[in-house]
Amino acid sequence: MLDDLMHLVRGMGVTFGTMFKKPVTIAYPEVKRPVSDRFRGRHELKRYDNGLERCIGCSLCSAACPADAILVVPAENRDEERYSPGERYAAVYEINMLRCIFCGFCEEACPVDAIVLEHEYELAAYDRREMLYTKSMLLVPTAAGVGGTPQDTRGRDVPFRMGGMDYFKTPLEVKRALPAGPSSVGAGE
Amino acid sequence: MATNGSAPKLVNVMIDGRPAAVGAGTNVVDAAHAAGVEIPIFCHHPKLVPVGMCRMCLVEVGTPGVDPATKAPILDDEGAPVIKYFPKLMAGCTTVVSEGMHVRTGTPAVAEAREAVLEFLLTSHPLDCPVCDKGGECPLQNLTMRYGPGRSRFVWGEKFHYPKPVPVGPLIALDRERCVLCARCIRFEDEIADDQVLGFENRGRGMEIVSFSDPPLDSVFSGNTTDVCPVGALTTADFRFESRVWELESRPAVCPHCAVGCNIGYDTRHGRVLRVMPREHDAVNEIWLCDKGRFGHGFTTAEGRLTHPLVRDISGALVATTWDDALTRVAEALKRTVAEGGPAAVGGVAGATLTNEDAYAFGRFLRAVVGTNNVDHRPKVIADDSVHRFGAGADTIVHALGAGHAIVVVGLDAEAEAPVLFLSLNKARRQGAALITLSTAPQKLDRHASHLRAVPGSEATLLAALVRAALEAEYEPVDGASVPSGALPNAAVPNAAVPSAAARVLADRLADHGPAAVHGVHPVDPDAVAQAGKALASAGGVLWIYGRSAVDAGLVPLMAAYAAATGQHGRAGTGLVAVGRHANAQGVADMGLTPDRLPGHARVDDAAARERLADVWPSLPSSEPGLDAGAMLAGGVQALYVLGTDPVGDDPALDLRANGVRTLIVQDLYLTPTAAQADIVLPAQSAAERDGTFTSLLRRVQRTYAAVDPVGHARADWKVLRDLAARYGDAESFAAPSDVFDEIARAVPAYAGLSYAALGPAIRTAPTDIFLPFAPLTEARSVSYIGTRYENRHGIGAAWLTPAEATYAAGDTAAHEAVAADGGEDAFAGYAVAADDALHAAAGDDLVLIPTAILFDAGRLVASSTVLHPLVPRPFVAFSPFDALQRGLVEGGRVRVTGAGGTFEAEVVVQDGVTPGTALAPESLGIAVRAAVGGERAGRVRVEVVAAGPIERGASPTPAPRPSSSPSTTATVTPGQI
Ligand code: SF4
Ligand code: SF4
Ligand code: SF4
Ligand code: FES
Repeated sequence: MLDDLMHLVRGMGVTFGTMFKKPVTIAYPEVKRPVSDRFRGRHELKRYDNGLERCIGCSLCSAACPADAILVVPAENRDEERYSPGERYAAVYEINMLRCIFCGFCEEACPVDAIVLEHEYELAAYDRREMLYTKSMLLVPTAAGVGGTPQDTRGRDVPFRMGGMDYFKTPLEVKRALPAGPSSVGAGE
Repeated sequence: MATNGSAPKLVNVMIDGRPAAVGAGTNVVDAAHAAGVEIPIFCHHPKLVPVGMCRMCLVEVGTPGVDPATKAPILDDEGAPVIKYFPKLMAGCTTVVSEGMHVRTGTPAVAEAREAVLEFLLTSHPLDCPVCDKGGECPLQNLTMRYGPGRSRFVWGEKFHYPKPVPVGPLIALDRERCVLCARCIRFEDEIADDQVLGFENRGRGMEIVSFSDPPLDSVFSGNTTDVCPVGALTTADFRFESRVWELESRPAVCPHCAVGCNIGYDTRHGRVLRVMPREHDAVNEIWLCDKGRFGHGFTTAEGRLTHPLVRDISGALVATTWDDALTRVAEALKRTVAEGGPAAVGGVAGATLTNEDAYAFGRFLRAVVGTNNVDHRPKVIADDSVHRFGAGADTIVHALGAGHAIVVVGLDAEAEAPVLFLSLNKARRQGAALITLSTAPQKLDRHASHLRAVPGSEATLLAALVRAALEAEYEPVDGASVPSGALPNAAVPNAAVPSAAARVLADRLADHGPAAVHGVHPVDPDAVAQAGKALASAGGVLWIYGRSAVDAGLVPLMAAYAAATGQHGRAGTGLVAVGRHANAQGVADMGLTPDRLPGHARVDDAAARERLADVWPSLPSSEPGLDAGAMLAGGVQALYVLGTDPVGDDPALDLRANGVRTLIVQDLYLTPTAAQADIVLPAQSAAERDGTFTSLLRRVQRTYAAVDPVGHARADWKVLRDLAARYGDAESFAAPSDVFDEIARAVPAYAGLSYAALGPAIRTAPTDIFLPFAPLTEARSVSYIGTRYENRHGIGAAWLTPAEATYAAGDTAAHEAVAADGGEDAFAGYAVAADDALHAAAGDDLVLIPTAILFDAGRLVASSTVLHPLVPRPFVAFSPFDALQRGLVEGGRVRVTGAGGTFEAEVVVQDGVTPGTALAPESLGIAVRAAVGGERAGRVRVEVVAAGPIERGASPTPAPRPSSSPSTTATVTPGQI
């Protein structure tokens, strides 16, 4: 009998003891637990420090995606209307977040570090259609760009022409339709 | 292929321990391919002459050693020959195999050489793969992955930079950074297309591809350079940044633009056609396409297309309605017309772009359901049964012909009317075939052919002279003593040894029209005619390829008579080939869309044919021939059904109402000028939206498959006609085009035995033919074709046999001899060896205007392509330099041309090679050229100068570069900013 009581007291002791310990749960959503640096959450489409989009519309993310969640429709940049450095950009970029399994293969496949899985994980919605994340939803603000474009050679000490060959030519008359000969993009002339 | 000569000598070689026996003269790369060993290549291409420029194909080559003293082979202890390897690696593509040659491709030296070549190729190659349109089907990518070093000792900044792509031609963008200088593009244009338009400029690292023609890349085959280019240096304007290649879904089809029947694939994404690629077909287009076929796919989009049936409302405007309503109205209108004027008051005119199924359903509806023989197609090139009786052998492959063959091209501008046939002819010519052209206008083919220029109006006398010269050369020496019976088609006897009675009769009939008779009439040397005749006589086979001009000039009977009399038909490389101006010119004629012929080229009163059709059709039309298209359009019928052709567009002065057509029904893709006059307009499906079959100029029946969804409510023509027939109580309810085709197989004897299954995917036996759904063949098993190319996995179709061939193939000797004895007497009866004097000597100041064909015409099929549209020239008339000088005409000036049937204004072009006294004006450029000469093949016109000097160039005929190709990243964004 007394033995039984002791069992009870010991049990309650654990209970009361725990009441004064620091709790392991947190008061989500008021409080959020930090995620690891390598956490794979909602995607973001990054920009360069000059504000141009990094994405070049190459569709490699879409090819790598095991869930077939990404749609890319490329288009050509024009000088009047430039989205990314170089020739090509993504006119349409969509991720179906209902399909995505957050494997990060797209990030892995991207040759220009444009698509990055960030730390946001609150991705619920009341409507399936809202789960189609469009390019404008995925793009980071213009000011948030980092890094110089591949064409940008500031601070890089590299020769631009092989063997110091300085090569110019007179365009032939018949080539008048073509822009003049070789140039060195970003050589600072 | 029974073409020429004996099989080439075989040479035994050993490649990586695998034996192979290949023809003498084969190079090591192709021999290795035959043995199943890949030797990577960049500059070599099996369709081009090897040049050995890239060194990617370096291998170790050894030959059996020979004792210098005794000249005896050195043998080892076991008696096997000792192989002496060359001390240096050899370029496989330029090394020709020899007996006993050994090749090693797997040695460290070879691997090192390949790594080195790739590393050097990539020293200045940009890191463009992610944005490169070739990426995914790029031989440089693939070979780098397979044989490359995996690392580079050259850093990004050391690369050579050019502005990103420049338009090397109106349709092709060149990215000089990516070029590996293999010269395949240059060699394609030089060797295959015979267009000297591309070349290298500068040397060393500054070497680049330039076009030195004006306008740049002036070739109608320019798209093929992007296929042979082993990198993404040359890419097409229409596909620029449209999609990655692995995202495309490719649908097999047959090109709807001309009668060659090139096999194509519509590469689609999200239901849109993004590009057209060739599918390989060794008997048709090899691996080539012309630019019209490759870039002319704008008609597959919805832009401007009819989406609903249209009928007239009370105010007379065309308004949309339902199919049910429209079809009921059509049936009522036709029934009313028949009730008032009998079946002969109804008629139908079709275009030659319909599939066989649609054409057959059209003829069937009008003949078997409405009961009229007023059925025709336009433009009509096959109007009689000459091709049916004396057609080329079904196994004829034009580009496989060579020495020992003669090809006569009559009244056909091959490059403009059937461009890929031009490539085949050019190849046959390079292989030694004798090429003779006979026409009133100059063409590119003349460069390397014996060209016989006829004066318009007297073509018949020149052809007679040629045939007489051939028969003279062939038969005169034989003494005429004993005359054996007719030479048998398919008989393995050289024709020259068997002078047939018919040939002698023909020779006699033309006795007064020998080469001497052309003197002073035609601008051609009688000796040249005699020479050409000798070439025909000495050839083992004579192939006649003729176009619309030859038909209009009435030349077909004599070609048929010659082919019949000499037994030169029904074998590979002999007989007649008619080249219509539209994709299914042969097929619509086979389907009986001519007023006097039932399906299968039988006359409307042919008892056997009527008996056959009585089993198939609900009823038979009368046995009187009906009206032809011209008569119907001139008001010969009260109700006219126009399917897929635009007579008013071709002759804007044509007013069908005023001519007395009371009910006009038009079924077409667009609201054409003809449709604008119609009471009821029905939306048709384009070639990319429907299943069906086309019959090529070599009579090959090929399947084409739907690639995209129909636009709006457009319906297949056969379905519309089936539903119309149902309103007449016709019980036949075809459920699919294959059902229609099955009925065609019963109605047309030559199509008997054909079915969709028989025309479908060929049975493949080679172990390498793993069935992948239409994958790009840049993999190991296609090394020989490295470059972009698609294998044909959807059947190669079947060419129907002429009666001579069919009876021979069936082993029916009696029937075959009966057919073969047909000396073409009746064919020749239709031939008038006479000159049209009215045309011939153009009196006074008049010129003779000849309507010609042009590839990029102003028709909707071309105009709907945004990249081709700028290439359509403004209407022009070409004069000889002589006439231009006489009349003070200056290139770029403007003239008014007045003929018997009308007048038009056009720009002046001065062109070498035009016969003085004639002027050439392309049809289908939006001016009524043919109407001006009264619908004839040529006519006298008066030419007045409107503007003497060059007028201001509005839409320049020299195309502007595609705006979006403006490439430079540095133009507006300063360096360092981007
Ligand atoms: S994270 Fe994985 S599943 Fe999600 S879009 Fe990227 S590749 Fe696809
Ligand atoms: S040509 Fe080939 S290797 Fe070069 S950038 Fe294009 S895809 Fe890459
Ligand atoms: S453009 Fe292409 S085909 Fe022409 S030389 Fe360069 S790599 Fe070869
Ligand atoms: S050198 Fe042989 S393939 Fe280029």
